[in-house]
Amino acid sequence: MNSKERLIRRLAGKAVDRAPNCNLIMAFAPLYIGKPQSQFYLDYEVLVESNLRVAKDFDLDILGAISDPFREVFDFGGKVEFPEDDIPLCSDNLLKSYDDLPKLQIFDPYRSTRMRDRIKGIELYKREAGDEYPIMGWVEAPFAEAVDLRGMNEIMLDVYDSPDQVHQLLEICLEAEIRSAVAQIKAGADLIGMGDAAASLLGPDLFGVFAQPYEQRLVAAVHEAGALARLHICGNTTAILNLMKLSGADIIDVDWKVDFKLACETYRGYAAACGNFDPVAVVQQGTPALIREAVWKCLDAGDANTLIMAGCEIPLSTPHENLKAIAEALRDYPRY
Amino acid sequence: MQADEIKDLIIKGDAAGTARGVEEMLAAGLAVDDIIQGILVSAMNVVGERFRDGQIFVPEMLIAARAMKAGLKVLEPLILQAGRKYLGKVVIGTVKGDLHDIGKNLLGTMLQGAGWDVVDLGVDVAPEKFVEAVKEHKPTAIGLSALLTTTMGSMRTVLGLLEQEGLRSQVKVLVGGAPVSERYAAEIGADGYAPDAGTAVHVFAQYAS
Repeated sequence: MNSKERLIRRLAGKAVDRAPNCNLIMAFAPLYIGKPQSQFYLDYEVLVESNLRVAKDFDLDILGAISDPFREVFDFGGKVEFPEDDIPLCSDNLLKSYDDLPKLQIFDPYRSTRMRDRIKGIELYKREAGDEYPIMGWVEAPFAEAVDLRGMNEIMLDVYDSPDQVHQLLEICLEAEIRSAVAQIKAGADLIGMGDAAASLLGPDLFGVFAQPYEQRLVAAVHEAGALARLHICGNTTAILNLMKLSGADIIDVDWKVDFKLACETYRGYAAACGNFDPVAVVQQGTPALIREAVWKCLDAGDANTLIMAGCEIPLSTPHENLKAIAEALRDYPRY
Repeated sequence: MQADEIKDLIIKGDAAGTARGVEEMLAAGLAVDDIIQGILVSAMNVVGERFRDGQIFVPEMLIAARAMKAGLKVLEPLILQAGRKYLGKVVIGTVKGDLHDIGKNLLGTMLQGAGWDVVDLGVDVAPEKFVEAVKEHKPTAIGLSALLTTTMGSMRTVLGLLEQEGLRSQVKVLVGGAPVSERYAAEIGADGYAPDAGTAVHVFAQYAS
């Protein structure tokens, strides 16, 4: 059973040899193959090469085009710095005032810089391993993108001070993300992940107004273009679990601060829960024995379609034996 | 306006109402310290508790902090005139490579309200800058914030540098942020850990005594 078959069967609740290993890999990948961080963010060939190596060496089941949150910001015209051996930084908000909203031009992903690089990465994945692995494109969800453009502190106040302008910005972000997602699906992405980390800072009332409806429309567009959708909101999402399922996403990531059993129950009949051990205390700092215990606990809490990952990105300095321990725990689980 | 009404305005995030309320309190003859402790800090304590209990979330924390600041601003000239007695000095910052500052900013506001002299180094602060700030400001404590697993390692570097420079015993170090845990704090040799700004204020209060 290859990774593609494994994911499809698992999502359908059918028998599998092991649950898919759906960990999110970003900064770990270039470090693993000895390439500077900046190349991972700027050169799709490095992103693809490093992720393929990691997937093969650590038995991961999804090839992801996720890298950093600033591809869209860059293509909107924002300033992003790429330190040689560090993650990208965006220290200057592009949208300093809503008066500048009309100047915010939605980019064409095919003529952009960083989204086009991601599209090329997906095409390369497709050529190299498209039959064997599911390929996952990535976009920011509209609320997260609005935060990337406007600033976290600003948006968190704007939702009270200028809700109408926030909605106008969200419409622009939604359109950009739909175009980016559809282009990635046309390039060969089997699923589109969408990150809405900032939305975990909202309570249910505001999440239901500013995040969930836009996630739902993005998911609908992804489905219409023929791919699956994965919603990733890191942070403690306990208060918004119910609303997250309304997105219609096929896979919903669950960070480690959430009771995984509760998440699996909440998503039963709606989506596959994907989670959720602690990426730092368990994966980065834990032992293989602790990791096995954590992985099995998630599997015990889950259903026949439950997927497994650390609550968020695999930390940069994760010991290799720990990442291997996740795959071994999945392989050795006795109760599939 | 009654003290409880002003507290409610802060909790609801009504900055203009809070400023008006504080002006009324001053006009009625209430002492500056009583307004700060009895109304502003007291209201923010309620906000912190509600945040920890999951009754309110980050936007509500931020508008409440903004309202408290509006109240403090009214008092500022009087504070300057009288010379405020601080609990001590605190240096805060988000570590190198990390631009997340919501938690740090909230902490800064709440610490100011609670009576600390706060030096905010901002975001993406190199370990050497924290050390320079300790030398320059001689704070009671420093607060390090990190929101990314890729950047939290910088906290260990700060502690190492403080040790190297012979400054470690002179300053308490508190760490916080989403990927940080009590265990991590202990492992790197920090004095304390706080999961949120409200808790951090309580921990810093222990350092003051």
